[in-house]
Amino acid sequence: MIASASYTVIFYLLAALAVLLSLAVVNAWKLLRAAIALMGVLSMSAGLYVMLDASFLAGVQVLVYVGGIVVLIVFAVMLTRSAELLQDNPAPLRKILGAIASLAFLAATVGVFRSSPFLLSAEKAPLRDNTTLIGEKLLDYGAGGYVLPFEIISLLLLIAIIGGIVVARKTEPQGQPFTTGGDEAGEAEFRPPFTQEEHEDELELVEK
Amino acid sequence: MTEFLAQHTPTLTHWLYLSTLLFSIGLYGLLTRRNAVGILMAVELMLNSAALNFVVFNRFCAPATVDGQIMAIFVIAAAAAEVVVGMAIFVALYRYRGTVDVNAMDTMKD
Amino acid sequence: MDQLNLGFALRNAWLIPAIPFCSFAIVGLFIAPMSKKLAGIVATASVFATAALAYAIAWEYFTLFPAGAAHPAIIPFSFEWLRYQPGLSVTAGIYVDPISVLLMVVVTTVSALVHLYSNGYMHGDEGFGRFFTYLNLFTFSMLGLVVAPNIVQMYVCWELVGVSSFLLIGFYYQKPSAVAASKKAFIVTRFADLGFLIGVLILGYQGYSSFPSLQGSIAPELVKYGVTNLQPIDFLYINHPLVLQSLLANGGTIMGVSLLTLAMVLVYSGAAGKSAMFPLHIWLPDAMEGPTPVSALIHAATMVVAGVYLVARLFPSFAASEQALLVVAYVGGFTSLLSAIIGITQDDIKRVLAFSTLSQLGYMMLALGVGTMAHPLGYTASMFHLFTHAFFKALLFLGAGAVIHAVHTNDIWEMGGLRKKMPITHITFLVATLAISGIPPLAGFFSKDEILAAALGNHFNVLFGVALFVAGVTAFYMFRIYFVTFWGPFRSHHPEHAHEAPFTMWFPLAILAVLSVIAGFFPMAEYVSIGEPLEHEGINWAIAGPAIGVAVFGIALAGFFYSGEAKRAATVAAAFGVLYRVVKQKFYVDELYIFVTKSVIFQFVARPIAWFDRHVVDGGVNLSGFVTRRSGANLRHLQTGQVQTYSVWYAGGALFILLVLWAAAMGR
Repeated sequence: MIASASYTVIFYLLAALAVLLSLAVVNAWKLLRAAIALMGVLSMSAGLYVMLDASFLAGVQVLVYVGGIVVLIVFAVMLTRSAELLQDNPAPLRKILGAIASLAFLAATVGVFRSSPFLLSAEKAPLRDNTTLIGEKLLDYGAGGYVLPFEIISLLLLIAIIGGIVVARKTEPQGQPFTTGGDEAGEAEFRPPFTQEEHEDELELVEK
Repeated sequence: MTEFLAQHTPTLTHWLYLSTLLFSIGLYGLLTRRNAVGILMAVELMLNSAALNFVVFNRFCAPATVDGQIMAIFVIAAAAAEVVVGMAIFVALYRYRGTVDVNAMDTMKD
Repeated sequence: MDQLNLGFALRNAWLIPAIPFCSFAIVGLFIAPMSKKLAGIVATASVFATAALAYAIAWEYFTLFPAGAAHPAIIPFSFEWLRYQPGLSVTAGIYVDPISVLLMVVVTTVSALVHLYSNGYMHGDEGFGRFFTYLNLFTFSMLGLVVAPNIVQMYVCWELVGVSSFLLIGFYYQKPSAVAASKKAFIVTRFADLGFLIGVLILGYQGYSSFPSLQGSIAPELVKYGVTNLQPIDFLYINHPLVLQSLLANGGTIMGVSLLTLAMVLVYSGAAGKSAMFPLHIWLPDAMEGPTPVSALIHAATMVVAGVYLVARLFPSFAASEQALLVVAYVGGFTSLLSAIIGITQDDIKRVLAFSTLSQLGYMMLALGVGTMAHPLGYTASMFHLFTHAFFKALLFLGAGAVIHAVHTNDIWEMGGLRKKMPITHITFLVATLAISGIPPLAGFFSKDEILAAALGNHFNVLFGVALFVAGVTAFYMFRIYFVTFWGPFRSHHPEHAHEAPFTMWFPLAILAVLSVIAGFFPMAEYVSIGEPLEHEGINWAIAGPAIGVAVFGIALAGFFYSGEAKRAATVAAAFGVLYRVVKQKFYVDELYIFVTKSVIFQFVARPIAWFDRHVVDGGVNLSGFVTRRSGANLRHLQTGQVQTYSVWYAGGALFILLVLWAAAMGR
């Protein structure tokens, strides 16, 4: 009784915190704050995982996500000086459009959830520690085993690491991928390939 | 009160509402953020909510197995890979362009 | 009689057009770019081979149906070419009857000799290979036309010879005058062919309507002659008396003219365009811009007689409608007279020959026009004249070509005194001139005599008078150019350096000269006739006498005026004054054409149409272009290049589809 009640309370608490923090992630003006809020959201998620009898996953969440990914993001924020360079304040029109799109998505999905019957299972979680089960499954090469995806994901991570190094390595700019020419590395001012006036001129030429 | 709470333990639908809500918020961020790093964070939110969904279904529909949790692990791994590459791209981009404002990245229309 | 026992040549008659065609393709595509000399040799050899085959066919055909007997048409080879529906298809094949055999022989002979001659004449020309390619194309098309068993194949080949003529007139395409002449020839003949096409359509439609009822009574009797698949557009069907009767009976009239007459006059307009009858004659003198061998082959001996051949081919149909035949006769007579008179005044040697050609073509048309099915001497006479004319006129042109080759000018007043410089050319030219003037025993005398006899025999007294007068005028103007060119002093510095033509050029001249002498002795009436075979008549001296008389008078007059310094001619020309100028300007027919086209048609027809095209048609096109560009320019702003904007649209679209699916699921 008490356990169930507290379960409920904790769920709503964690859920509310997660929602609020994620709103902060997408709305914070300063990216560093957003990163911190993301860290919070992910931690809340770890708590939710625990409530779902997935304690191993919760550990992974905290270790990898909170400890690794978010730290990486913070690094990126620092490296690109995004936090200072940019007060990330989107245009109102885009905010409205985005809100409409995401609310509509929400409404549609909720509608689908409400109208769909789910095959609920009556059994409780097995008493056996599911960490062991996960370990066995991951290394199982029989039917239903995940050894192949496991190897592939490790390969993916390796490729990502190498790719990250290659992309982020400081090289002499030769063919500059994002500009049509002239921009030196680190040049603050971005010059678009065509100015608007040039476009108008071109259009008039075409019309003639 | 306690009884009320005990009788209203969250069901599958509630969990799903939660993950959907998180996903929608992530979507909103994806669509509105101007900073590439911000967009990446929104994507992380969405991935996280997807992983949560996996675990929820695992818990409620097939509690004897751990496939959903394994999927969540894979999602986390993929997210990690994504962040690594994304961050590397942003750093390189910043070096070339001096900004990571996605509004400035409209060379696709040319 | 069972199936005919055909000899080798007749069984393989399809080679007649096939050899020149293959040669055309091979020379044009492969040999001409590689070696000019080889191109000339291959092209010439192929035409000589065709000529040999044509002689073999003539031999076998006239062995099968000996002289004096009836000469039915046979179709030794045919295949279905286009099938429109069961019971209406177009066949292509080989049609062998006396006149097609005659034309085969004439075309291949002249063509072979002209090919040989061109090897010398065109020597060193930039477009040597191209020239032979075109010549082969022409030979192929002309032979295809000659052997056409139905009116569609004839029409197709008719246009093909038009194209080759166009290509060859414009052979020196760097010369603006040649380009203009080729365009003129093409446009005028095309214009005339429009009438031909309409005539073909009328005939084809009428033939198709009567086909089901008449096929049964016509087809079986033709099977033994190789006609296995009779079609309503075949000449054998159109010319059949039953069909003509049915057409006359059921065709009805349009504005008081019977449908048959209308169709035949329209067909005749095509023939008149190709054979350059008045008033469509204007292209032929200008066509002399082409190389001289071309003038000899196409614009004297073969292509221009295609019109005569067409009328002869459809002679039963023309004869069934008397008015159509009268049109043929009087237009022919008038053209003959008009161009003979113009011929007197021209100074360009090739133009004189061109007008002479016109005049002789008029003669042939006249001869056809005075014939009837009951008294078809005109038909034979026309074919006879076609036969002899091909030889002596080709000879005249080739001789003129040799002269032009030697002196590098076309103006007879810059030649003179060439008889010592170019003895062979001189002799052969003299032979041809005597032949065309109708001096016995040369070829022209016999055929002209037959035409005069035909005209008088069917009581066309006016036309007889015209023909007799033209004979005299012809003798006069032909000897005029003969005297001015070959006699008298050198009239400019050009003839001083003249030299005899090379072997490849004088050899064809010699052959043609021999042919011009002996062709008249060919007993044409025994071989070429229509309806009942003619009993062979001797020379009617009552007709031949005056003809020789006017010819001799014309020659004497020419000698009086033009031998020596030719001072008397200038005096007489001055005495005639305005009249002389009018004639020299070819009666201002060209100017009239230009006035009509420029001031009337361009002004009142073409200009409104051009306005409509420019403002309404082009306007519509421009409007759609403008709308597209404008909308593109406006829609361009949707393309922001920002992935996020795109993803908003993407999310919206995905949601929309989701909602639709969901609504569908709810509704079910």
